[in-house]
Amino acid sequence: MAYSDKVVDHFNNPRNMGSFKKDEEGVGTGMVGAPECGDVMKLQIKVQNDMIVDAKFKTFGCGSAIASSSLATEWLKGKTIEEAQKIKNTDIVQELNLPPVKIHCSVLAEDAIKAALADYQKKADTK
Amino acid sequence: MDGHTHQHTSDRRELQMARSMCWHCQSEVSGEYFCDRCVKVQPVSKELDYFTCFGIPRRLALDQQQLETKFYELSRAFHPDFYQNKSDAEQTISLGNSAMLNTAYRTLRDPIQRAEYLLDLEAGSVKEIRTTPPADLFEEILELQDTLDEFRASDRTSDAAAALRSQLQSERTALEGRQRDMETQLQQLFGRWDALQDRGEATDQARTERDRILKDMRDILSNRTYVKNIVNDLVATIA
Repeated sequence: MAYSDKVVDHFNNPRNMGSFKKDEEGVGTGMVGAPECGDVMKLQIKVQNDMIVDAKFKTFGCGSAIASSSLATEWLKGKTIEEAQKIKNTDIVQELNLPPVKIHCSVLAEDAIKAALADYQKKADTK
Repeated sequence: MDGHTHQHTSDRRELQMARSMCWHCQSEVSGEYFCDRCVKVQPVSKELDYFTCFGIPRRLALDQQQLETKFYELSRAFHPDFYQNKSDAEQTISLGNSAMLNTAYRTLRDPIQRAEYLLDLEAGSVKEIRTTPPADLFEEILELQDTLDEFRASDRTSDAAAALRSQLQSERTALEGRQRDMETQLQQLFGRWDALQDRGEATDQARTERDRILKDMRDILSNRTYVKNIVNDLVATIA
């Protein structure tokens, strides 16, 4: 099975790889894993005035998982919290042309986005 | 582990089948892989679980010998070679049954796969108890991944690479130790599961215990997969 050009591109030139300090002001961290395949994904957002100004990821997994999280960070930047909530795994599947066996990678990316947003919200609420 | 009890060929009658009617002569088929009347092979139902398929109890400790004996017996019964001169329908059934049988055998033979399979069977309640991701383990894996990348990019003859290699080597030893610990914990859970099934109580307490065991198994099996993956990566990289 061949990866689509977009997956290969994200895999070879991952966007926004890295991490922020977890306790940094405005940072939300999402940490998710897929027990079936052992993939691990960390996705972080940096929020200022309800706007995601930066996003980073680190993924241990297959090409599709890396591409999905790389694409997610690209999409997150410049979005409001509310807009970010609306990103669906199906959008990622469509953009990257993921085959059925790799759909779970996009689900993982959506879960990571949701987890990061929830973590940011939780931190903002307890302040 | 259960002792090996003497098997009669008539035990096959105990096997359940979802299809209760022979596809060929429409006579009643009562838990046989072959119709009593017209002796045509019957398709193994997709709803039949692997334990039932082999006529063994749904337990995590199993008699490998019994499993193997039953596997060979059924393999012979369904083998496509014996159906070459039979009708297309029988050939198709023989092929389907053989494929199912092989998957079932491979799954039950391996204790980890057997447990994963059992969890799938019992999934109804387990899926609801969604596991919390082990954040610490994930951090560790991602950090280790960074070190691995650093090592991959390094000049292998340099002192820095040698230091990284020995660091990764000791990480590997530690992780392999943890993997063994998890396997020990799993063995204990398997024992508790089987004991609970043997008691067969229908109390609230038994149900709570059941869900607890299934959740713990799910957690440890997942964590074991994460650790195993990173260990495989480590081994491949520093080899």
